[in-house]
Amino acid sequence: MKNEKKSERRLAYILVAPSLLLILAVAIWPVIQSFYFSLFDYRLNNPAKSSLHFDYSLNLERYLESYPFLMSTLKQEITQATGDEKEQLTSLQQKLQQVDEEIRADEEVAKRYEQIDEILNNFEVPSEEIKIVSIDEQAAQHLTKTMNETKQTLKTLNENGQLKQGDKLTGLANGLSGAVIEPNFVGLAHYKNYLGDSRLWKALWNTTVFTVISVSIELVLGLAIALLINKAFFGRGLVRATILIPWAIPTAVSALMWKFLYDGQNGIVAKYFADIGIVNNMSELLTTGAGAMFAVIFSDVWKTTPYMALLLLAGLQTIPSSLYEAASIDGATKWQQFVKITLPLLKSSILVALLFRTLDAFRVFDLIFVLTGGGPANSTETISILAYKVMFSQTNFGGGSALAVIVFICVAIISTIYIKFLGADLISDRK
Amino acid sequence: MQKKAGPLFYVFLFVFVFLVMFPFLWILLSSIKPLSELFGEEAFNWFTSHPTLKSYVSVFVNYPFVKYLWNSTVIATITTVYTVFVAAFAAYAIARLDFKGKSVILGIVLSVSMFPQIATISPIYMFVKKFELTNSYLGLIIPYTTFALPLSIWLLVTFFRKIPFDLEEAAKMDGATPLQTYFKVILPLAVPGIFTTSILVFIAAWNEFLFALTINTAENYKTVPVGIAMFQGQYTIPWGEISAATVIVTIPLVIMVLLFQRRIVSGLTSGSVKE
Repeated sequence: MKNEKKSERRLAYILVAPSLLLILAVAIWPVIQSFYFSLFDYRLNNPAKSSLHFDYSLNLERYLESYPFLMSTLKQEITQATGDEKEQLTSLQQKLQQVDEEIRADEEVAKRYEQIDEILNNFEVPSEEIKIVSIDEQAAQHLTKTMNETKQTLKTLNENGQLKQGDKLTGLANGLSGAVIEPNFVGLAHYKNYLGDSRLWKALWNTTVFTVISVSIELVLGLAIALLINKAFFGRGLVRATILIPWAIPTAVSALMWKFLYDGQNGIVAKYFADIGIVNNMSELLTTGAGAMFAVIFSDVWKTTPYMALLLLAGLQTIPSSLYEAASIDGATKWQQFVKITLPLLKSSILVALLFRTLDAFRVFDLIFVLTGGGPANSTETISILAYKVMFSQTNFGGGSALAVIVFICVAIISTIYIKFLGADLISDRK
Repeated sequence: MQKKAGPLFYVFLFVFVFLVMFPFLWILLSSIKPLSELFGEEAFNWFTSHPTLKSYVSVFVNYPFVKYLWNSTVIATITTVYTVFVAAFAAYAIARLDFKGKSVILGIVLSVSMFPQIATISPIYMFVKKFELTNSYLGLIIPYTTFALPLSIWLLVTFFRKIPFDLEEAAKMDGATPLQTYFKVILPLAVPGIFTTSILVFIAAWNEFLFALTINTAENYKTVPVGIAMFQGQYTIPWGEISAATVIVTIPLVIMVLLFQRRIVSGLTSGSVKE
């Protein structure tokens, strides 16, 4: 018997393993990585920042493609120069040589230096891994300073027409200056920046407004609909199918559909709203902040109230009708029955529906992205939209990841609160 | 169930259904209007006197709409088949076998299904870019695992739990191993649950937007939601074509919902209702 238990347990772990590994690889690991990315100034369109560095490093290929030629050209220039210029150029030459020696003082760097030099002398291309070498901070800063000084001096001299090979020299100095790669580790700077940025707070506020208003309306309407259709009637299946359709069509497609209906010139819903007096004139719906928020919430209510109603209806159907019969015999009014029987027994259904809907609403993306794009003037920009824009429009992956982590933390807080209320009901084994 | 529906109830029902369906109805009516009647004064007429199928033709001639449909079908089908297959084993173990850490695992599954997509998009984007999977089917199938797998496991666990435990006991008595029990006894009984799960996972994968928008940007690999959303140009929005395309994707959905509504509802509500 004991062996049997053991083998059952082993089988269980084997069966669960593939799923767990997949979840770990495609969901949990990326979230951890997002957090890691958020600690760097990580930009895809900037070669110096398109990977993650903790330390200063030197691109030896770039350095050695310029440095020797810069030195030899400087030497020629010095022999031809006189007076003040000669002094300036000699001083530059000495400084460059000094900093070159400083870099090579490190044994590891010196070895790599030779290696790359040889590869370049053979007209070959060094591989990515070996050409980047990390150097200590002091040397790096010294090098950067010298390079900038060289660039500046040569540029001034060249502009004054005091150099024979001016363009060549400034070109080489420019080539040299891109060789130092600064660390792009910024710690929690992104978080600090965004938490002090009014745009983030506006986005969080918009997200909260959208979530709270749409979820409350959906709950009240959904509950009302569930109570009304919780009875036997003709055409039940058809009604059920009807209310499933808004839920089932892609949000992006329904958002586009609403954009047509809300259109300031030709939108039928905009026209009806203006006729009823919900808005002053048709174009207000998508061109004013309040109008756009209303439009977004209205579309969301249209799309997800039926879903809410279905979840609550299923909960209602588990309440035994004998309870209501007993209550009405005791003389309880309909309202008393609703408050004393329906609501308490529906509590866990309501909480589960609220949990799923709140989280869905909080991470809303497609609806707003397609319907308003976050506009007008960021008035419907939610936190997910903001994170997307920072990542893919500004190609700032570090900052975008920080925002994504903020969304993640908010979602975690919301679920913790709900789960506190729900207890372990949700995952317990119901035998 | 005890209450009887009166005529007022049917009026309410009709109004409700009409309001829910109104946007679709309007899109359907707009899709057969000639272009000139979509704008200006005539835009608010319910019925056109010159119905035309021009918008429908244009959707197929001027846009790679068939390609979008095909891409979505392939991606959603493969995602569904593979995640439900992997999830079925895990769900069986969680629902029927006795082992430690069960609720922890189910807790992880549930939490992952609540992850906001935006929190995983940057590493996943870097990953598909590094392995040159952008603009490929695999480039979406892998990220779709993030929501499809937890959803499948969650739904299947509730379905597996509903199968009577006596059957397993009987099989054990007859000397069947757990794996034999799984394939010979549980799996055949779980077919309806697996089918329901597949429908819901398929719909989720078909409707996905954020990953599809960022990863498959080439015309030839766009999915339906992204394809239609990108119909809108910089300055003009081809409402006729958009209406027609919306109708085209909605019709199969209506048929599917009509056929499977019971299953879909049971899937949506399972796990949220204590029985």
